[in-house]
Amino acid sequence: MRRIVVLAALMLTLLAQSAWAKTIIFASDATWPPMEFVGPDKEMTGFAIDYMKAAGKEAGFTPEFKAVAWDGIFAGLAANKYDAICSSVSITDERKNAMDFSVPYFKVRQALVVPADSKAKTLADMKGKTLGAQISTTGHFAVKKADGVKDKSYDEVGLAIEDLFNGRIDGVVCDDPVAAQYALQNDKYKGKLKIAAVLETGEDEFYGIALKKGDKANLELINKGIEAVKAKGIDKELMKKWIGQ
Amino acid sequence: MQTKPPVQIIEQHDGPAIPRKSDKGLVSAWWLSLIAAVGTLLYLILVEQGAYLRLIKFVPDGIVITFQVTIFSIISALFLGLLTGLGRVSRNRWINLIASTYVEIVRGIPLLVQLFYIYYALGRFVRVPDMVAAVVAMAVCYGAYLGEIFRAGILAIDKGQTEAARSLGFSRAQTMRYVILPQAMRIILPPVGNEFIMLLKDTSLVSILAVADLLRRGREFASETFLYFETYTVVALIYLIITLILSKMVSRLEERLSFYVRK
Repeated sequence: MRRIVVLAALMLTLLAQSAWAKTIIFASDATWPPMEFVGPDKEMTGFAIDYMKAAGKEAGFTPEFKAVAWDGIFAGLAANKYDAICSSVSITDERKNAMDFSVPYFKVRQALVVPADSKAKTLADMKGKTLGAQISTTGHFAVKKADGVKDKSYDEVGLAIEDLFNGRIDGVVCDDPVAAQYALQNDKYKGKLKIAAVLETGEDEFYGIALKKGDKANLELINKGIEAVKAKGIDKELMKKWIGQ
Repeated sequence: MQTKPPVQIIEQHDGPAIPRKSDKGLVSAWWLSLIAAVGTLLYLILVEQGAYLRLIKFVPDGIVITFQVTIFSIISALFLGLLTGLGRVSRNRWINLIASTYVEIVRGIPLLVQLFYIYYALGRFVRVPDMVAAVVAMAVCYGAYLGEIFRAGILAIDKGQTEAARSLGFSRAQTMRYVILPQAMRIILPPVGNEFIMLLKDTSLVSILAVADLLRRGREFASETFLYFETYTVVALIYLIITLILSKMVSRLEERLSFYVRK
């Protein structure tokens, strides 16, 4: 009898928990400052992390973040390892075929980072040079599309920046907040690197939360959260805090 | 009445049992693996087509890089390993100390960490191209392992061989070169061949240095198309085929050097 009571109580608490605050597990490649990275206290932090926490508070879900390597992050989503990806995923048509996206939460452009003494002004000036980017990011796709540019793909954007700093490659293409973080704010690279250009690709690029195809319940919840954050102007505060504009 | 003495069982030996080589039969393990690997690959490319066909057009330059890294690393590691092995058996205390320290340090650091170190950490001071960094790291790592194998091979040769050669008027260097090393070669060939195959597979780690080898090409393809299953199936099959070719080359070499071995 007692066992049944305990079991019932347990079930009830579980049910109640899921009714009050659903836990959504987000995968994140925490190597993308200032959007998502591991802070000095070994906790994942950054603009996107704060954004999702705020969205969770608004829409009534508890976000849980799981560190996952970028390479294979989409495969993990398809294999049910987590519910969503919150890792500066740009919404592209190819990706839309494989997964669903939330409403956009951040507008992003691709920036070209070069050594401070470089004279390059656009991507076209980099003809015959080697450009690095993180594997399978939109920056990497932009480099691949550029004429006469040799591309090099890295596991992490930080490794590409370090290689640029060490003089092995001539430039790095990555998302503009990340480029700004490395070229303008990072103590080590500040003054040694600069942003040569923000690339005009003709189309606007946005970050979205990636979800498994057909996952309506979580999609609605996340969308509700993002809309609420935008409506309350919390996103502006976060921009000021993490990106400084 | 007398009882019969108990039957005495006498075991007869013709010397130690020598296992029969597996590839002496009708079909050897090597051929079986090769046919399975090539057959599967051809089936995927010719019959399934689609993603597999696109993939096989995407990776060839990666295969070439993997080959290059392997060949250059094997040659430099052999050279480094021989030097280390000779250093480890040297009577000169300082040479011995240097060789031993090298082995102790390198053997104690994972290859992946060494790759990171040589490429990203030392990259500040020496700006070598990525291929050179990859080959140097592989050679330094495997040189230590090969050095130990060389040392074992040299120590396995009977001391009488040295004594005989020395009393015939060979110098120390000549004894090593004409008497000890040729015999040691035969002993160390199987473990050295094993190291070669390990080295080939470990070249997949250099993809961390943004070297566009087979694995990196595969990852680039997979991350763009989301065809993870297809990609890694093909990458695994290609690695298997290259490894099989290398292992055949090693076993051919073993046969040529096995004229002393009991058959």
